[in-house]
Amino acid sequence: MAMRRTDGGAEEGYEHYEAIVVGCGPGGAAAASRLADHGVETLVLERGVEAGSKNVSGGLIYAEESAPYTIDDLFPGMREAVGERPITDYYIHNIAGKKVKTYDLTRLHEHDTDWCDAVLRRRMDAWLEARVHEKTSETGGGVLTGVRVNGLLRENGEIVGVTCDELDPITADLIVAADGVNSELARDAGLMDWEEPDEWFQGVKAVVEMDGERIEDRFAIGADEGVAHLFSGDLFEGVRGGGFLYTNADTLSIGTVFHLDSLVEERAEPHELLDALLTHPLLAQWLGEEYRELEYSAKLVPDSKKVAHREPYRDRLVLVGDAAGQMQAQGPIIKGMNHAVTAGALAADAFARTRRDADTESAGRAYTSMLEESGTMGKLRPRRYEYTSVVSERPLVTRVVEGVLNSPVGGVAVGNPLAKRLLGRAYNSPLLVGMLPDTETGYVTLPSVIGEKLGRTVHWENEVEPPALVDRIGELTYDTDVGNPHIRLRDESYAASGAAVTACPVSAEDFGGGCYRAETVKTNGTEETLVSLDTQPCVECGTCAIVADTEWEHPRGGKGVEFRQG
Amino acid sequence: MGLDPEEFTVDELTDELETVDDADELSAVLEAERAGQNRKTAREAIHRRLEAVDAFDDAGSDGADEASEEAETEGEYEETREEVGEAAEGEAEEAAEEDAADAEGGPREPSEAAQEEDGLSHPTADKRHVRALSGGDYRDMWVFCEVQQGELLEVSKEMLGKARELMDQYAADYEEEHVVAFLMGDDCEGLAEECIAYGADVAVYHDDDRLERFLHKPYSEIAAHMARGQGTVESTDWRAYDEPRYVLFPATNNGRDLSAQVQAELDSGLASDCSDLYIEATEISNPVKTGEPGVKKTFERVLHMKRPDFSGFEYSTILCLDNPDRDFHPQGCSVIPGSFEPMDPDPDREGLVVEHDMELEEEWFAVEVTEHDELEAGVDLTGHEVVVCLGRGIGDDPTLGVELGLELVDAFDDAALGITRGIVTSSYQFEGHVEEYTKEERQIGETGQIVAPPLYIAAGVSGAIQHKVGMDESETIVAINTDTDARIRDFSDYFIEGDLFEVLPRLTEALEAGELDVTAVADGGED
Repeated sequence: MAMRRTDGGAEEGYEHYEAIVVGCGPGGAAAASRLADHGVETLVLERGVEAGSKNVSGGLIYAEESAPYTIDDLFPGMREAVGERPITDYYIHNIAGKKVKTYDLTRLHEHDTDWCDAVLRRRMDAWLEARVHEKTSETGGGVLTGVRVNGLLRENGEIVGVTCDELDPITADLIVAADGVNSELARDAGLMDWEEPDEWFQGVKAVVEMDGERIEDRFAIGADEGVAHLFSGDLFEGVRGGGFLYTNADTLSIGTVFHLDSLVEERAEPHELLDALLTHPLLAQWLGEEYRELEYSAKLVPDSKKVAHREPYRDRLVLVGDAAGQMQAQGPIIKGMNHAVTAGALAADAFARTRRDADTESAGRAYTSMLEESGTMGKLRPRRYEYTSVVSERPLVTRVVEGVLNSPVGGVAVGNPLAKRLLGRAYNSPLLVGMLPDTETGYVTLPSVIGEKLGRTVHWENEVEPPALVDRIGELTYDTDVGNPHIRLRDESYAASGAAVTACPVSAEDFGGGCYRAETVKTNGTEETLVSLDTQPCVECGTCAIVADTEWEHPRGGKGVEFRQG
Repeated sequence: MGLDPEEFTVDELTDELETVDDADELSAVLEAERAGQNRKTAREAIHRRLEAVDAFDDAGSDGADEASEEAETEGEYEETREEVGEAAEGEAEEAAEEDAADAEGGPREPSEAAQEEDGLSHPTADKRHVRALSGGDYRDMWVFCEVQQGELLEVSKEMLGKARELMDQYAADYEEEHVVAFLMGDDCEGLAEECIAYGADVAVYHDDDRLERFLHKPYSEIAAHMARGQGTVESTDWRAYDEPRYVLFPATNNGRDLSAQVQAELDSGLASDCSDLYIEATEISNPVKTGEPGVKKTFERVLHMKRPDFSGFEYSTILCLDNPDRDFHPQGCSVIPGSFEPMDPDPDREGLVVEHDMELEEEWFAVEVTEHDELEAGVDLTGHEVVVCLGRGIGDDPTLGVELGLELVDAFDDAALGITRGIVTSSYQFEGHVEEYTKEERQIGETGQIVAPPLYIAAGVSGAIQHKVGMDESETIVAINTDTDARIRDFSDYFIEGDLFEVLPRLTEALEAGELDVTAVADGGED
């Protein structure tokens, strides 16, 4: 028959599939596609109105030569269909005021890279969804959109399925949580938490309209070429992080990514840091006079060095992609989607291999060892980082190194001709980049010293006027779940939740139209500052789940923000 | 048919099947199983036997094909049932039958084995429906028009509109039959006439003081009595058939309650909560319906009742079809409010209004409504001359801000107070006497109410796009704001730069002193 209905409760049993995949991003799509290859009856549940409508990324997807699976292995024709531009050039700019020192990182970029494309997620994920639906339909499943999985179904304490806002619970032999960085399933299973800001990055991005020919002209590239620019230095008010600019077919993806703990510490406004990049003189050459922003978006990024789960499974649940912390961000190496694809495919293979096994955890165990054996875990969570960080992230060591770099001696060290050559080489070394400590030194001090000592001054006038936050929010598409807010403030005191007022990418101090607002309230003669919340402008990035005291869920299926670019 | 799978457990059936070598007969058994208990294990057993027989007998390949066909359709869940074709229709029709069984209050024929096992007396086991018909005469589409507080519910008019459309098409396709409205209450002759204006050809009503509110027992007794054409000659001589061909009920609380009982009284099934209807012929191969396996039979004039299924992710089409020896008429359903458009009422439409005649038994009114409450409708900000809207500009002293807003509202003849979402979601501590004005029910904007009064006064409103869509159509917009860069300035006719705590009292004062001619402002006047 058509879809089977179960109206009854436990005595009739729940709807059952061999595999359920939660989330139809690259990780979920890869898992579902491989499961279908193995003949597994697979149901994919996606909370967006269409796959991609909830998804944001910086915008580069890699195919690594050493990876067991790449996205075009699983989805032939993907690059032709939805690849914006292949990235053929890769630069980093070290900025100190108006001085800029640029290094060509193409060698680092090409290391282990079969190809790398700029992509926009709405387009890419929607395309993947159609392929996944086709494949999974053949084995008795398919993709259902507009369904939000809200938790795990347990029987006698063991995970056996999922519960949804829209459907009756569904059981499965394998549950793939590919539900993204704010994975509610990973948390329900106790595998991930939402506690430490230093385990996360926050990225905000503007997709900017620009004619394809103009892009080729301004960036000096051919029709089948693309370029990635990275930015670091002192243009971000001392917040640890950097910026990026990628060329798409007829848009640009321009964004900034910062350590969340640093954003909170500096009380920085993410949208203002993005504006600092957009209005820097260096960008005038590319952006010109007309600036038209199509979409403002934001997302949290797990720091895989710290949180990539070494054993991402429990019972018959496996975590894939961002949900498992599988996002590699080491200095100028930013790779997430490719690892999600690999992990998704491996999880599917692990299930196929252990299908007849009576032990429900055997798929998870096989998946874990495949992550290790394939070298994926090694890339995500390099052991060498764990050794070096112990020393180099200590405040004292940071201070000493900073002191040296800022002293005339340090400046000389960076400024001498030998160091010039070495720095370029060091940036291009995946090994050294993997060891970069996560302190201000790597992100701010070193790049600005390099910029200061080695840079040349840019004199261009940047005429870009980025839209105000109220207009950025106004341009976004929302289907608000009226009367049913998906985030609730548990503690409205400024001490507990005030950090969200600045850290939330759609909130700001003295801005009444955002999610989080600080309000001075007088009661009986005493005055206190409280935080209020309106979830209407929410872009579902998850920042406040970490920096404020909230009960945080995703909106019901199809509700909330809908990204058109992503 | 040789073997009835209903008589066996799956194990017994497996043994019995060993004695059958004919693929056609096995197919028939399979069909019967599907139509009956539809046990998965039983179907598998029959498939296995079919395969075994096939290995020896090529002639049986028909059955095997059907088997593999079924395996395929099992997987393609996204297809709606009617797209899946024959097999699916068989199922949909089963669903209707199940409903019928449910409505009767129990399984139609509990198996003897079950009776022996559970040790209960089963006082109703022998019950046969006394009024069950076979080969009855059915005509017209009946529409139960629910009445509340002396008015027809909107859904009643919607159903009449749809019934009119269906029966006009019916007249073109087959012959002329009528749309019959049936309703009851304490004074509904006028409403019956209204039903005619909304598309009915005949309106049958029953008046009784005791019927002012919905009561399950008398309502269902009267409805069934009407449908069967019982009563005095005068009240029934307009018709000459046994029961309605089709019946529509509203899928409201009362309509659902009534529909199950009435359809059971009429010994038919019910498709609940439908959202689309059409009438056409359908070809069926299910032997329960055709009388013999392997034969296809065309049912004419079948009401196809579509209902959202699986939380609306797919649609099922429910058919209610006669068995060879037992009718399932009227074909009935309940209709989700809002599914159809009512027709424009035509007070000159001609039709027959019939007062129904029936003695109502006292015991039907054993249930008495002793207390009732009406839910509050909330605040309606539309339809006023003036709307005064307060935004987060009141933040310095929220309570005073609301007081000043209310004073300005009072100074107008016909004004209402609205607020922005920013106020609703704020942590402002309002004092008790103004708190009621700060709730969601007064919110203007995308997620609140949309207003378009002749005059809109926005005090301390920044003018986010989500607010703009709720008031942009107002004729004249006056904004009061300290921030000259506020977005609202872009779509205001008048912008007063100033603090609302100073401007609002002065506006109120001017109005009360008669110094300010509001109509002049609203007309975009000279001052």
